[in-house]
Amino acid sequence: MTTLWPIMLITFKEGIRNRAIYAISLVALMMLVANFLICGMIMQEVGKVAVDIALSAVSISGLLLVLFVGINLMAKDLDKRTIYMVLSRPISRPQYIVGKFFGMVLLIVTTTFFLSVFAVLSIFMIKLSYPHYFLRFSWPLVLLALSFITLSLILLSALSFLFASFTSSSFITLVLTMIAYIIGHSISDVYSLIQASQFADIRPAMFIVKLIQTAYYLFPNLSFFDIKMQAAHAIPLTPSYIFWTLLYGLVYSSLAIAGAAMLFRRRELP
Amino acid sequence: MRAFAVVLVLTILAGAHIVSLRKLTDAARLMPKNEETASVVPPAILRITSLEFRSLVSDYLFLKSLVFIGSTFERTEKPRVKNGEWKWVYNTLDASTTLDPYFLDPYYLANAFLTWDAFMIQEDNLLLIRGSKHRDWDSILPFFVGFNYFYFLQDNVNARKWLLEASEKPDAPHIFYTELASKLSNEKNRTNNAIAFLEEMTKKTNDESLKDKYASRISYLRSVLQVERAVELYKKKFGKQPSDLKTLVQTGLVREIPADPYGEQLYLDSDGHVKSSSNAQFDVIH
Repeated sequence: MTTLWPIMLITFKEGIRNRAIYAISLVALMMLVANFLICGMIMQEVGKVAVDIALSAVSISGLLLVLFVGINLMAKDLDKRTIYMVLSRPISRPQYIVGKFFGMVLLIVTTTFFLSVFAVLSIFMIKLSYPHYFLRFSWPLVLLALSFITLSLILLSALSFLFASFTSSSFITLVLTMIAYIIGHSISDVYSLIQASQFADIRPAMFIVKLIQTAYYLFPNLSFFDIKMQAAHAIPLTPSYIFWTLLYGLVYSSLAIAGAAMLFRRRELP
Repeated sequence: MRAFAVVLVLTILAGAHIVSLRKLTDAARLMPKNEETASVVPPAILRITSLEFRSLVSDYLFLKSLVFIGSTFERTEKPRVKNGEWKWVYNTLDASTTLDPYFLDPYYLANAFLTWDAFMIQEDNLLLIRGSKHRDWDSILPFFVGFNYFYFLQDNVNARKWLLEASEKPDAPHIFYTELASKLSNEKNRTNNAIAFLEEMTKKTNDESLKDKYASRISYLRSVLQVERAVELYKKKFGKQPSDLKTLVQTGLVREIPADPYGEQLYLDSDGHVKSSSNAQFDVIH
């Protein structure tokens, strides 16, 4: 742990100094201001729309953070050869990867925390202006949705570390992470479509069914973490759903980071 | 000299920018719009492509149709909205409610415009039934379905079924709904039932223009009720149907024959029902 701590801290500092963070925060702030304008146009369920926009703002900016700040943190060390400085110290390569990842987790948690404060503030202000249009509303579910967003970002970031451990350029990592994100959010719909294909009157080839079943277990199922709709309508979740989602997120992230550490240990650095 | 050239080039570019933008805006206006072709991306595709922003896309589609309907109020031509455009509104709201079936506003908008303006009653009911399946805490959507069956489709059996369904919801005025449902079987009470329905609809809406619509409908129905009562009195007094409504005025049973909301006169059909010559298919309670 004592060897991980400095790497984690340096990664966090490096990330927080990145100018891209200001741009990302600006996007989120603009969406939260737009929240006020859009909610004025809604006739009935103002609360639902306010929660939708606030949560989506946090989600989008978190995604930008993982894709454009997170991936560069790792790539920069390799590109600028600063990694030799680190590895020449008594730090193993797996320790380096895990330390970096914890730094990134700290960065994600800190940023989403600040964004969440603004999101909650915007919902709160809209709730003050239109109290009669917040009939079905639950703060605990909104906070749970925000924590699930954070967890899914951590998972995506772990996956980007896995890709970065074997690709030669940060651009390829970026593309792979984006593909994983898109598959991760659509895989469960495609999977259920394949399962119920006879009802939808389509007959997919056998190898496509196998491919999708493999993809379902290989790629992270990010749609489990998306409970924005439940939060917006205050539809309660079962404790077992919450527990298994948390466990799934932690297990998948750990697997991805373990894989990244193993691959990175065998990698030949230029 | 160089500064002058820079200013000159910038001025020309700025002018060209304004001209091209204006020309492009005009040209874009002439392009066929989605509203005319009624095409919306199929909801199943939207579900997959909207990733984790499904309910945000649902909000967006709802706002798009809301803004479109709002923009038609500036039009002067008649009918204000073409049939293809109503079809587009329906498709958009269908997509919006497929993405987020719990969202109340698209159902509300559909019920406000697809019925009174577009006469797409069956389509509106399809949306409302989807909503009442998901929003199992809410009595308003099954109530709307019941109203549509009763008022527009004149199907009392289904109207009763949906009204009873609405009465089971936690927020429903249970006794009022079940009483109204039991009254529906009495055809003679139709005008009275319609007034009861519309008064409840008025209570459930916050939209001022919709409230006005209901209010004018209620006052019209009240005058129909008045004429209907006069017809009954006439039958009791003279033992036969009046030949037309003017007879009622002549015998002093009513002061005047009221006009319907479209400015058309009421008349008496061969079965002795009070009817209006405008929009007879949907709006007249016989």
